[in-house]
Amino acid sequence: MKLEVSNLCEGHALCVQTAPEVFELDEDGYARIKFDRVPADLERVAELGARVCPVAAIVVEQ
Amino acid sequence: VNRIVVVGGSIAAATAAATLRADGYKGDVVMVSEELVPPYSRVSLSKGVLAGTHSLDSTLLPALPNDIELRLGVKAVYLDSQTARVGLSSGEILGFDGLVIATGARARRLTEPARTGEYVLRTQDDAMLLANRLSGSRSAVVVGGGFLGMEVASTLLNHGLEVTVVDRDPPLERLLGRWLADLIVAKAKTLGTRFAVAPAGVELVGDPVDRVRWNGGDSVVCGDLIVSAAGDLANIEWLQGSGLALADGVVVDDRGLAASGIAAAGDVAAREIGHGVFRRIPHWTNAVRQGQAAARALLDPSVGPFQPEHYFWTEQFGLEIKIAGKLPLRGDPRVVDGSLEECSVLLQWSDTRGDVAAVSVNQRIPVARLKSLAGSISSPA
Repeated sequence: MKLEVSNLCEGHALCVQTAPEVFELDEDGYARIKFDRVPADLERVAELGARVCPVAAIVVEQ
Repeated sequence: VNRIVVVGGSIAAATAAATLRADGYKGDVVMVSEELVPPYSRVSLSKGVLAGTHSLDSTLLPALPNDIELRLGVKAVYLDSQTARVGLSSGEILGFDGLVIATGARARRLTEPARTGEYVLRTQDDAMLLANRLSGSRSAVVVGGGFLGMEVASTLLNHGLEVTVVDRDPPLERLLGRWLADLIVAKAKTLGTRFAVAPAGVELVGDPVDRVRWNGGDSVVCGDLIVSAAGDLANIEWLQGSGLALADGVVVDDRGLAASGIAAAGDVAAREIGHGVFRRIPHWTNAVRQGQAAARALLDPSVGPFQPEHYFWTEQFGLEIKIAGKLPLRGDPRVVDGSLEECSVLLQWSDTRGDVAAVSVNQRIPVARLKSLAGSISSPA
């Protein structure tokens, strides 16, 4: 699974809070993905983190 | 049965359903939503979607896993909590061994159903109706100066409309406290927004509605577009007779449970905050946390209480504002960083208990820093 943070990100950090294994904030407070490809065992939690974004800024590609 | 039913189609429902799976629940998960579209975010409806810069599709949340059965366009019509069954508008009756109630709330309207011309903003459909009406309008009256009303007013103003906001109270003051409300209203006025206070409430006049009247008829504002942003009503009618405690919303305990095996989350859930006083917390962060808590309370009867989280944000009149801490904010803040004159500032409120809230205005800082400036009160345990 591949994830991407679009330019809609406003830095509310819900993704980080929900799935700290997968998401982190950069120095400016925007979300960033820790992996090029999300490991299979983290896919569920990555999806959860993506879905709680209030501005739908995280794009999930299978 | 080996099934958990989630009633609702928004972020609290979607989070609850997906959390059940992420936490290893192996039974059926059935999600029942009255809306015809899959879960989406309402957050940008009053901003990007209304402004025409964001498509409706941009509000769709990532699709739910396919081991969650999503039924769209189906309404729950009753709950029998004794026999653990939900009746659906399709005529079907679903038994469950766990239920999440996340039916949300709807916009409160000020006119009776048969009247036309009163616009509200809650769903994608509302946003489209409003956006269509926008193009031919030169003036608008927004009834309600809360977060939603002010965001709508800001978008309409940007679109070139003459905008008047009318409310019983000074805009945002009850929500945010006087200091921050004053800052936002001052900016809104600079940009040309007009404000009126109608302490005894207003009346919408005409069919279609084309005026807002108050003060016994002595004060009137006309508008090509009349938008009500006068609060919301929890969707609890279907729970009459269910045996659950209802008070403005579904009453839940500190774990999110309304009864054994029945949880509630999001805008529909009400917690007792003082003796006999119940409050819903209708914002995104809370819907997410309550959705997670609801799933966990159903899966693990020994789960402990969860702390509501106090983090909100709003964008209006050129101000991007993030707030960590309990509202309303009392007294005056300290400037931590930036400058008020330049309207880019980081603020902190303190009282005798220590730091209680932090607010960023047009400042990019990691939310974690904002929350730490708000002291322990805003961060979940």
